[in-house]
Amino acid sequence: MTDTQKPVKDMTTDYDIFDPEFVKNPYSGYTEIRESQCPIAHTERYEGSWLPTRYEDVVAIAQEFETFTSRQILVMPPVEGRSEGAYAGVAAPPITSDPPDHHWHRRLILPVFSPQSVAKYEQGTRDLCNALIDEFIDKGTADAAADYAQHIPVRVIATMLGVPLEMEPEFTEWVRGVLENMTDKEARIKAFMNIVQFFMGQIEDRKKNPRENDLITELMNAEVEGKKVPIEYVLGVCQLMLVAGIDTTWSAIGSCMWHMAQHPEHRKQLRENPDLWPTAIEELLRVYAPVTMARIVDHDIEFQGCPMKAGDRVLMAFPAANRDPRQFENPDEVILDRENNRHVAFGSGIHRCAGSNLARLEVRVALQTWLDRIPEFELVDQSTVTWVGGQVHGPRKCMVKF
Amino acid sequence: MCAIAAPEVFGSDEIGNAKVLITGEIPAALHAKVRRAESNCPERAITIIE
Ligand code: HEM
Repeated sequence: MTDTQKPVKDMTTDYDIFDPEFVKNPYSGYTEIRESQCPIAHTERYEGSWLPTRYEDVVAIAQEFETFTSRQILVMPPVEGRSEGAYAGVAAPPITSDPPDHHWHRRLILPVFSPQSVAKYEQGTRDLCNALIDEFIDKGTADAAADYAQHIPVRVIATMLGVPLEMEPEFTEWVRGVLENMTDKEARIKAFMNIVQFFMGQIEDRKKNPRENDLITELMNAEVEGKKVPIEYVLGVCQLMLVAGIDTTWSAIGSCMWHMAQHPEHRKQLRENPDLWPTAIEELLRVYAPVTMARIVDHDIEFQGCPMKAGDRVLMAFPAANRDPRQFENPDEVILDRENNRHVAFGSGIHRCAGSNLARLEVRVALQTWLDRIPEFELVDQSTVTWVGGQVHGPRKCMVKF
Repeated sequence: MCAIAAPEVFGSDEIGNAKVLITGEIPAALHAKVRRAESNCPERAITIIE
C-alpha cells in the first residue's frame, strides 16, 4: 500500500495532506491538530514532516530563516538523486534561496511587481475576463474553475514573460504536474523538465533574436555589481514565475468563486459598497489561503517541545495559521469588512510573496468582472465540485448556473 | 496592504518596498486609516506612537 492509501490513525501523529477528505476540506483537520495537546503534528508519511498549525508558530518558523531554510520548499521530498535545488536540479530564486544571495535574487524582481508596475495589467486582465465570460454567458451555466479561473493567471504571466499565449494548455499542464499530482514522481520530473527545456529554448532564442520589453529579456540584461546575472538565475526565475504565479492565483480565484456562488449576501454587500473590495479580497485570501510551503531544518533543535532534526521537513500551513482563533475572531467566518487581518496567505518574513500585488489585482478583477456581468449565480451541485490540495488548495471543477 | 489601507501615508519605493510618504505627525483625518494599516500589516512593521 502506498502512503496515500493507508487510513489516517491520528491527525497529530499520522496526518496525510493528500488524503482525499483532507484535500477537500483541510480546515477541520487543522483545527483538530491546532486545538490538541500537540499543535505541531508529525507524520511518517512521505519521508516524514512536521505540521505547525498555530499562527504564532507558523510565523515564527517563517521568520527564523537560519534555522528553517528554504533549500527545499515543496511539501513533498525531491525525487531521488535530484536533491539539489527544488526543481530537478534547477533552483528557483528567490524562493529556494537563503541569505545572503536571497537579497539580490529577490531585489532584482521586486520592481516588476510593485503596485505601480502591476497596475498596467489591470485593463488587460479585465478584457481577458470579459472575453472568457462571453464564451459561456448565453449558456446559463459554466465551470467557474475550469472555464474561468484557470485561464486568467496563466495568460497574465505569459504576457509578462513574453512567451506565446497559445501555449497556455502546456503551461497549465506542466504547472499542474509540478504542484498538483505530487505523489506521482515520474510525472513531476517530466513536468519540471518540460518547463526548464522550454525556458532554455526561450533564452537561446533571445540571444539570437534580441527582443525588448519582456521579463525574460530584462532578466538576461540585468546586472548585479557590474556583472550580468548568471543564466541559471534567469532560468530559475522564469520557471518560478510559471510555478508560483499560476496555480496559486487560479486556486484563489476559484475558491472565491465557489464562495460567492453560495453567498448572495456577500455579492449584495459588495455591489452596494464597492469600497469594501480591498478588505474583502484580503478576507477571502485569509479564509481560502491556497498555499502551503515547506522548510528544511538546518540543525537539531527543540522547537515548542518538538525534537526537530537537521534535514527534517516542516510544512508551513499558512491556511491553518489563518484560521487560528487566537489570532482571528470567528476565524471560519467570512467577514468582508474584518478590521484586524494580519493574514499570512502570502507568507511572512523574507520570502513573503513577491507577486502579491499582482495576485490581489488578478483576484479582484476576476471577481469584479464576473459579478458585474453575472450578479446572480449558484452552485449546480456541491457534490460535483472537485478539489486539489497539498501544496496548493483550490477547486478544479466548480459548475455554476445563472 | 498598508498602501491599500492608507494610500495617503504609505507607498512603495522604486524597488517596491513599502515606505512612509509623509513626515511628522499624521493628520487627524487619517488616523482611522493608519490604524487599519497597522492592524492589517502581516509583518507588524507599523507602530503607532500617540
Ligand atoms: C493568490 C495568489 C498567491 C499566493 C497565495 C501566493 C503565496 C505565496 C507564498 C505563501 C509565498 C512564500 C513562500 C515561502 O515562504 O517559502 C510566496 C512566494 C513567492 N511568490 Fe507568491 N503567491 C501568489 C501569487 C503569486 C504570483 C502571481 C506571483 C508572480 C508571478 C508570485 C511570485 C512569488 C515569488 C517570486 C515568491 C518568492 C519570494 C521570495 O522567496 O522572496 N506569487 N507566494
